[in-house]
Order: sequence, then structure tokens, then C-alpha cells
Amino acid sequence: MSKPLAILENVTTGYFSEVVLKNVNLEIFPNDFVGVIGPNGGGKTTMIKVLLGILPLFKGKVTFPQGKLNMGYLPQISQIDKSFPITVRDLVGSGLKAEKSWFPHLTSKQKTLVNKMLDEAGLISLASKPIGELSGGQTQKAFLCRALINEPQLLILDEPNTFVDKGFEQELYRWLKELNKKMAILLVSHDIGTISPMVKTIACVNGTLHYHPSNQLTEDLLKVYNCPVDIIAHGPLPHRVLKEH
Amino acid sequence: MSEVFSILEYAFFRNALVAALLTSLLAAMVGTYIVSRKIVFISGGITHASFGGIGMAYFFGLNPLVGAAIFAIFSATGIEWISQKGKVREDSAIAILWSLGMALGIIFVFMTPGYTPNLMSFLFGSILSVGKAELYLLLVFFVLTLMFFIIFFRPVVYTAFDPEFARIMGIPVAFFRYTMSVIIAVAIVISIRTVGIILVLSLFTIPQITAMLFTRDFAKIIPLAALWGTLGSLSGLFFSYFFNIPSGAAIIFFLTIQFLILKGFVMARDFFRRDEKVLE
Repeated sequence: MSKPLAILENVTTGYFSEVVLKNVNLEIFPNDFVGVIGPNGGGKTTMIKVLLGILPLFKGKVTFPQGKLNMGYLPQISQIDKSFPITVRDLVGSGLKAEKSWFPHLTSKQKTLVNKMLDEAGLISLASKPIGELSGGQTQKAFLCRALINEPQLLILDEPNTFVDKGFEQELYRWLKELNKKMAILLVSHDIGTISPMVKTIACVNGTLHYHPSNQLTEDLLKVYNCPVDIIAHGPLPHRVLKEH
Repeated sequence: MSEVFSILEYAFFRNALVAALLTSLLAAMVGTYIVSRKIVFISGGITHASFGGIGMAYFFGLNPLVGAAIFAIFSATGIEWISQKGKVREDSAIAILWSLGMALGIIFVFMTPGYTPNLMSFLFGSILSVGKAELYLLLVFFVLTLMFFIIFFRPVVYTAFDPEFARIMGIPVAFFRYTMSVIIAVAIVISIRTVGIILVLSLFTIPQITAMLFTRDFAKIIPLAALWGTLGSLSGLFFSYFFNIPSGAAIIFFLTIQFLILKGFVMARDFFRRDEKVLE
């Protein structure tokens, strides 16, 4: 087995004096597809921020055994001001690092890369449109392009299935399956049912983290998640059976 | 028409024209940042807080512009600091700053012995008395801001739009946010000369809102706002001279009329376009 991309060891963190995550351990390997579930306020997004290195730790450490990890990040769209005057093209371009820090403009090569990315995602006709004019699905796609343009080794998605219709959700999952061949994926969702059939492993975050080395949901795991919750039965079609609590 | 040219022979009017032009161009850049980040209220707080600095400068016999700039910079960076910590109700903090600045200004001016002739000019502006030194100051600051925007356009926009993602991309977010706070503070203080404390914010918002009738692209809002801002303030200035009314008020009036006319035009255009689509 190859070395992990990222290791979280005994991570305790939070905001100000408030502890949100306690003693979290997690290893992410290349080609992993981790589904992170857990109740609202349980620390899912906080854990992502730890991985991305934008939240200081109270305790523990985060290491990257394979060297500096190139991560792509799709934030929760509800955190974004969609009325900000930025075009789809500039949004995707913001995922690229400038080559010169004293004149941080994109090179023409990088601009071509942005157009290629938009073309592949079927957004090229919307490239000059402000993000405020996009539909929910198109917005997620545009932000996903921003996360992907750097060809990350680890793609982190925070609630990518909100504000989108079912059709787009299916398209997204097909896309992610394809991407998973090239990169590890960490997908956060409060919707335990829909993500279960596609992920390889499940991590449940509720103050602390419970790692589950398969995508089958068990009683134990759900105890952590707290009732009420949908239980998923695996089959050719994703469908749910609601269990009595 | 000859009357229009004849007033250009006066140095004070030429100075006023250059001041109005430079202020409009400066406000086009800085205002686009303010409107896009939705920090108009914060900028209002900074503007009014600077009055405290003006009063204090009068009391201690200093240059009022320096006093205003110090107060504005401290309040701008202070608000940026508060909003990054995120624990205080930002709008309440701004309201306190806003009224405290005005109160301090009034107290100090009241305590200053003798007559303070220029007080009204700070509240309502006095573009017709702008001197050469002030013009050079305005020009230097305009050029510096322009260079900053040209060189660091991407990080300026990205740290305004999504600071968290910008941080992940390795952009020094705090540096750009604080630098922009200082630029906003100084730009506002410098522009107070043109239209006064009470009206200055409209120079930083009305041209942008007018521009946003036509585009929602940060990079394109700036030149359009420069166009509408310059047009409005120059027409206001001429109008104020010929009808003998305060120039600040005339400029804001023209900017607003211009916005309303264009808004009406855009609404009519959209209405007929929709009609065409229905008939197709």
C-alpha cells in the first residue's frame, strides 16, 4: 500500500475557546473516496479547514507523507456572495497560482487552460457571464472547475449536492467517479443516504471522528450520527428504507 | 458657449476641474471595491469617524487633512480587524464609531478658541478653493492606487470575493485586506475636499451602481464608473458655477439624475426586448 497523502493525528481544534473537534485521527490515501457525514455543527467543515491548513490546531498534528499536497477545494456555496461582480472565467482562473508574485496576472498559457476547463465542463458559453446569473447546478460546476484547474491530488467537496436538482446530482456523481481514478476525494454531506453508494469509506464526524473502512452503514456508525437518520440498503439503484428508531 | 470657456481662464476653476476629474477616477477604483464587497456602511463609518480627526486637528492647530487621515486609517483597519475576528456585531461597532467620530469632532471644534471658518467646507466640500498642493497630493495618491490596482488586480478581487479560498491559494489575504482598508480611508479623506463628509460616499457608490446597469464584471465596472463619475461631477461643477449653488450638492444631484435616466433607459430596453421575444 502506498504512503498516505495526509494524516491527521489527535487533532483537537475549534474557534476561540470553543472546541469543535476532539482527538480526530484520519488517513487519506491516493484514490481514496471518503464520505464525511455527521450532524450540523458536528465539525465536518472544521475538519476540512484543518486539512486545508487554514485553521490553527489546539493539539495534534497534520502531516503530508508524500510531500506538499495539492488540494482542490469546493466550499459550501451558501458561504459565497453570488452577487459579487466576478465572471465565470475569472472565478475559475482564481484557482490558478500566479507564476510571478510581484505581477500576479495569469499567463496566456494559463488563460488557455481556463478556457479548456470551461469547455470540458460545458460552461464555455457562460464564461463571460457573472456568477450571479448561473443556475444552482451551473454554479456548483463552475466552483468545481475552480477546484480542479490545478489538477489536485486531493479534491475536497463541502456539500456539493445543495442547491442542485437531481439530474445534476447524478451528473456530478458520474463526474466524481471519473475523477476518482486520478485523485483522492473527500466529500462532505449531511445527506448520508445519497453519498453512501458512491464512496469507498465513510467517516462520521460529530465532535470526534469515527472512521468506517467500508461504505456500508452500520448500527454503530449511526449511533454516532444520532437519530433520526435514513438507513441505506445497497442495490443497483440507490434507495432508502427508513428504519424505526 | 463662450461663457463656459471664459471661466476656464480662472485658475481656481481649472484646479476645481482637475480635482473633480482625479477624485472621480480615484473613486471609480476604490468605490468598485467598496460596492462589490458590500462595505458601503463601513465606509460611511470611516468617513464620519474622520470628522473627529478634523476637530482634533483644529484644536491642536494641525492640518485637518492629517487629522482626518489618521482617524480614518485607524477606524478602517480597526473595522477590518473586528470583521476578521468575527465575534463582535460589526454593524453596531460601526454605528458607535460613526457617531463617536462626529461627537468628538463637534466637541473639539466647540472647544477651539476663535472662529473655525473651514468647518462647513469639510461638511459640504469646497472644491473651488482646492490649491496646487492638494492637487499634487491627489495626483500622487491616484497614481499609486492605479498602480496597485493594475499590478495586484487579481489578489485584490479574489481576497474581496472569497478570502478563505484566496488564503488556500497562498495569497497574503491580511496584507491585501488591510492595504485596501488604508486605501479606502485615504481616498475618502482626500475626496472630502470635493463634496464634503456628508456627500462623499455617493461619489464612491452612484457611478458604480450606474455602471452595474451594464456590466457585472469587476474589471469593466471600474472604467464605466470612471466615465459616469467624471461626466456627473464635471457637469455638476459647471452647473454649480453658473447657478451659484454648492458644488458638492450639484455633483451628487447630477450623478443621481444620470443614474435615473440610464436606469429608465435600461428598463425600457429590457421591456421592449421582452416584447420582441413574446411576439417571436
